Amino acid sequence: MENVKVVYEDRPVKLMLYPSILFMVFGMFVGVYMAFNTFLFPDYFSGEYVHFGRVRPVHVGSVTLLWLLSADVGLLYYFVPRLCGTPLWSPKLAYVAVTLWWSSFALGVLSYPWGTNFGWEYAELPTWLGMIPIKFITTIAWALTALNIMMTIATRKYEKMYVSLWYVMGTLVWTTFTYITGSYGVNWVPEGISRVNVSFFYIHNLVGLIFTPMGLASAYYFLPKLANTPIYSHRLSMIGFWAIAFVYAWIGAHHIMHGPMSQWLQTTAVVFSIWLFIPVWTVVYNLFATLKGHWAEYIQSAPIRFLMMGNIFYLITCIQGPLMALRNINEITSKTDWVIGHSHISLYGAFTFFAIAGIYQAIPVITKKPLWSNRLADWHFNLNLIGSVPFILALWLGGFWQGVLWATWANGTSYAEFHNNLTLLSFLDTIAQMHYFWVFRAIGGVIILFANILFAINIFNTIVLKPVPTEDKQLEKVKVTL
Amino acid sequence: MSEPDKHHKGFFHNLDLSAVLTLLGIIILFSTAIVVTLLAPRYVDPTWTAPSSAYQVQMYEVADPNFYISSATAGNPTLQFVYHLKNHYSLLLFHENEALRIVAPPELTQFITKYDEPTMKLTSNLMLLRKPEKNTHFDAIAAADTLRTDALNKWETAHPDWKEKKLVKPTIEILELYTPQGEDAFVVATTNGTIENWIDQNYKILDSSAQQDYHKDHGVIYIYNPQEYRVAHLQFNDTEGWTYDHNGEPIQSLQHLKSHPLGFHSRAELIAEGEHIYAIEGCWYCHTDQTRTLVQDVVANGSDSYPAPPSSANEYIYQKITFPGTRRIGPDLSRVGIKRPSRDWHRGHFWSPKTASQGSIMPAFRHFFDEDPRGTAKNLTGIPNYKFEAIFQYLMTKGTRITPPTQAWWLGKDPINTKAIIEGRGNVPE
Repeated sequence: MENVKVVYEDRPVKLMLYPSILFMVFGMFVGVYMAFNTFLFPDYFSGEYVHFGRVRPVHVGSVTLLWLLSADVGLLYYFVPRLCGTPLWSPKLAYVAVTLWWSSFALGVLSYPWGTNFGWEYAELPTWLGMIPIKFITTIAWALTALNIMMTIATRKYEKMYVSLWYVMGTLVWTTFTYITGSYGVNWVPEGISRVNVSFFYIHNLVGLIFTPMGLASAYYFLPKLANTPIYSHRLSMIGFWAIAFVYAWIGAHHIMHGPMSQWLQTTAVVFSIWLFIPVWTVVYNLFATLKGHWAEYIQSAPIRFLMMGNIFYLITCIQGPLMALRNINEITSKTDWVIGHSHISLYGAFTFFAIAGIYQAIPVITKKPLWSNRLADWHFNLNLIGSVPFILALWLGGFWQGVLWATWANGTSYAEFHNNLTLLSFLDTIAQMHYFWVFRAIGGVIILFANILFAINIFNTIVLKPVPTEDKQLEKVKVTL
Repeated sequence: MSEPDKHHKGFFHNLDLSAVLTLLGIIILFSTAIVVTLLAPRYVDPTWTAPSSAYQVQMYEVADPNFYISSATAGNPTLQFVYHLKNHYSLLLFHENEALRIVAPPELTQFITKYDEPTMKLTSNLMLLRKPEKNTHFDAIAAADTLRTDALNKWETAHPDWKEKKLVKPTIEILELYTPQGEDAFVVATTNGTIENWIDQNYKILDSSAQQDYHKDHGVIYIYNPQEYRVAHLQFNDTEGWTYDHNGEPIQSLQHLKSHPLGFHSRAELIAEGEHIYAIEGCWYCHTDQTRTLVQDVVANGSDSYPAPPSSANEYIYQKITFPGTRRIGPDLSRVGIKRPSRDWHRGHFWSPKTASQGSIMPAFRHFFDEDPRGTAKNLTGIPNYKFEAIFQYLMTKGTRITPPTQAWWLGKDPINTKAIIEGRGNVPE
């Protein structure tokens, strides 16, 4: 396969990855700030621009858009040309896209404390920021990126498409549609529950049709790369791909179970949510089977550990997800910290781990230097894992407990007695019982933040401090067998 | 690997069959889902777009845009409420009561609903009440004197022993009904700023034909005994202000009402602003706006004796943004207009949630208040500014507009059989 010598243009990769790592640290710092200032010492720093409601979207926007989406796009710029055996279609177009990308997304996300929140979840980016049409620029930036990657695939040298490319093509179509729907389409339907429906469609598909295919494309590319072994089953990965394409767009309404949404739509969402088990199990089994017989690599390589732990987190989050859609389970878990735990395990536990693994593999290739410190990478993984346990368990257990408290909130044989009992145990009491869970969440958050500061240091030192090796070692071993 | 055919360098020629099929398959599967889950529902389920009641429509479309709120002077928490009446549009009721009698020239007497009269007589002809005046056409002062004497005589006849019992003679206010100049008017009428008068039985509209579509509804919102709103400007040292004074200057125009120094906002504007504040302050990250079809939700939001109705789709149709919410670390707000209708409670709570609700983790919203940095204000809390009134008006729409105030909104709206579940301890009877 390596009979054609291709020079890959990696500057767009760097321009996406490096800032995204900084924004990950920034976003996690904001998260830790909230863990203290909202939950442990509520409103200690008080005021218009620093209270929870204004700062929370900065955290969410930073870690989803500025870190994860940007890092994933950077990784696309990295592995799509390598899977196609051709340089990026147009590096110049990529520079334009990257410039628009960072200026619009960063300005938009950082403007939330000044009251620019658009008001729909995950679509908080303002339409206008003064004279700057933020949302329009982000759309253009994505469209240029998508065009560039699509044309790279179209002009590829290798005839057969590896599964990662399927996922990439999927995400190019889906992201475009989903992003436009969530950012603009929400205003094109009648006011009220129609808009809520569009919004939840967007919320779910931001995860399901953007982060999932991007993350899985990365995982399917980087695991064989890192472990130096072919993927277990290309066919199984195809089944997973088509199941995702079939299922995800249907399930937005499971975010509003028991709510003011038509019952038949809720039921449809439940049915398709259960279908999600298929793509998940194919991915999880495929990745585990790929590493079968190569578990020594797991011990030796931090990126492989990230990938496989991400895989386990992906399994957990995707067992939770469909079950949370069931009406009876939803009654307990919905609207509690459980949901926050679920969103963190998917975007942090699964897809952030995938992206970190990808960055660890890509950095030595694009900088042509070995990683500054493998030991630091080990610590990065260990601390991330250690931190995620109190963090995520606290949210799950606390959330579940909160849900149980609400469901068994009061007792009584008549409505009046029931209502009276419920008034005696006020809502605030159920919040007060969350305190110790929130302490553990904050501890976990601090550990995770610290771990990723180490990651940023490691990457920074790799880029800047170590001199370029004189010999052009073969840092890139193409082992993706089709 | 085979090199692509040199003669076919175009985009589509380089896309082999598998890639084309991938793209087509993705698009077909995706668009089917879009059609069924995003486009179809609002045609299948009429509650997605149809209003919940005529009251809801009239509150949002008739009442809110024509009701104006401002604080009387800068730094004064007292609110002023003004209705903007339009001829052949706003419905008016001129109703006598124990302490009020109305005199009118002969052609207008038909519009007065007498005390004890069973049917309320509404009209959309623009008329107002004022202190009796004398003019060439009609001497209201004389008519008022006659009426007062008659009424007092009647009272004395009804209470022959009033002197022995040391009863105080009632004070009877007498107002004159008149037709003002122009096609619109700015008036005061009894209101708390959030709830409107509603009538759906024992009334008739005296217009020859229905002037507006909403006049044909099975119930209407009306203005009760309107009087012209006038202001007197005041200057006290460097404090500039104004106050309501029925001998003051009339309001010239809507522009005059909305501009400095009066600075009125319509309730529609305030609700829209409140929705914007709800969005940018991120209220919706901690509070939900949906009473779910679950016992814990309908009881928590219900009254002492009835569960609240679960939220239905049509409650939200007048909101540009709807915040159903995904998480509760603050209580649900979908029925807050019923549960916490007090402006004072919300004022104290926004100023310091931790004081108002022990154990709350809600941040203080002091930017909803004009603070006095030297701490010399007479108010213990800050003076609410328009942001407070906006968020308050927005919150007061929650749960209050589903059905008219004359119909108890919980009755017959317990789809999950809350009482049966509680009383049967989980067994839902058929």
